[in-house]
Amino acid sequence: MNQQISTTIYNDITDAVRKEAARILGDGTVTAVVGYTSTRRTGLTQPLVITDAKEADKLLFSETCVNNLAVYLTKAKKEIPKTGRIAIMVKGCDLKALVGLIGEAQLKREELYLIGLPCNGVLKSTTIPGTVLTVETIAPKCCECDVQTPVGCDFLPPCKPEQPELKAVYSAEIARLEAMSPRERWDYWQEQFSKCIKCYACRQVCPFCFCEQCLCDRNKPQMVETTPRPAGNFAWHIVRAMHLAGRCAGCAECERVCPMDIPLNLLNRKMAKELKELYDYEAGLEVNEKGPLASFNDKDDQSFIK
Amino acid sequence: MTANIENSFEPKIMAFVCTWCTYAGADLAGTSRMQYPANVRVLKFPCTGRIDPVFILKAFQQGADGVLISGCHPGDCHYIAGNFHARRRFAVFRKLLEFVGVDLNRLQFSWVSAAEGGKWVEVVTELTERIREMGPMTEFKELALTEQWSGMLESPELQEAYKQI
Repeated sequence: MNQQISTTIYNDITDAVRKEAARILGDGTVTAVVGYTSTRRTGLTQPLVITDAKEADKLLFSETCVNNLAVYLTKAKKEIPKTGRIAIMVKGCDLKALVGLIGEAQLKREELYLIGLPCNGVLKSTTIPGTVLTVETIAPKCCECDVQTPVGCDFLPPCKPEQPELKAVYSAEIARLEAMSPRERWDYWQEQFSKCIKCYACRQVCPFCFCEQCLCDRNKPQMVETTPRPAGNFAWHIVRAMHLAGRCAGCAECERVCPMDIPLNLLNRKMAKELKELYDYEAGLEVNEKGPLASFNDKDDQSFIK
Repeated sequence: MTANIENSFEPKIMAFVCTWCTYAGADLAGTSRMQYPANVRVLKFPCTGRIDPVFILKAFQQGADGVLISGCHPGDCHYIAGNFHARRRFAVFRKLLEFVGVDLNRLQFSWVSAAEGGKWVEVVTELTERIREMGPMTEFKELALTEQWSGMLESPELQEAYKQI
């Protein structure tokens, strides 16, 4: 059952990305490259911003490159130089987030240089160095991935990703919850939300949480209780899911960074599923200036309204 | 006069209404001397598009047993499209609440125009009676009353770790 997933293409991708990064930094196409590099703990990776072609050899891509780097390009983050074109290493799921940000006028396509990463999947957790990518250790988001090869990038290493058949984790879990009675679902989510410590890691890591002042930080009026008590936790997670509805493309960073292991992406996937059913909208690789909740149709369903 | 315990529950219903249609409709019901349950507390908004889903959560947390959201019929919005946006937002919000286990019978949406005093009476009466039968909303009140730290503090792993210190 513990079938290993091939990661041999990752070495080729690393070589290609290094060469390309050195070239575009060298000839001045871009002012900075946002990518991944190895950490002092062997076998792990962390985000890195380079501005010098000599540093291009620091870049790499492997199954431990879990971060969604799109978050560094939002206004909320200040690490990136704001002048000139910026290159960024993107997996398919990260590309969807970037496309969403372009649609919401947070980024301009012509100011980006996209280095696409064909991807066989990344790890669910990087807490244990040296974890091998298998059917068991792969991130759940990768099991339902439809963009293993990013589309529309400025540079794409000519590698072909291969993945074995994987179980669709989120769909199965959503179906399981939907089959429950309301009271059972309530109890399930209360159990999950009661773990929340309100660290807001899910908000900080989310590319779409770029509001300068979050509704949840306001206290006049205070709409969401800030203490990690059940009422506040419930409200926070509902507000979060609601604000991401129709925007979240499922990079699942929220779920990865959650220190209490709350299945946050499950709420996001459920919302995505509902928007697909209701308005036939999917956050994907197409730039939409208006998301499903920022637009409307005269003929929208209103069977629930008396 | 003896108090009947079973029937003594009076639901608290929060109504978020738009000022141009439903508020005027409720006003019409009043000036026409129509009778409807006094359980409903009306809160006036400029438009249904102004009603953030978080208001509904807040209402439940503050002790509402039911929430009614009402505004102009599609096409009649004073701000052209506010209720169209609201319609989508609430359709999605309903699904989210359903997914986390909230009983949707406590949440009612309606379009009531300024001329529909009768419909306002009908909607409010029906919702009040339905919630009276359902009884008080306990889930959110429990949430508001529960004091607790993270549930994980009592996990076997932590207990084990504590013993090893």
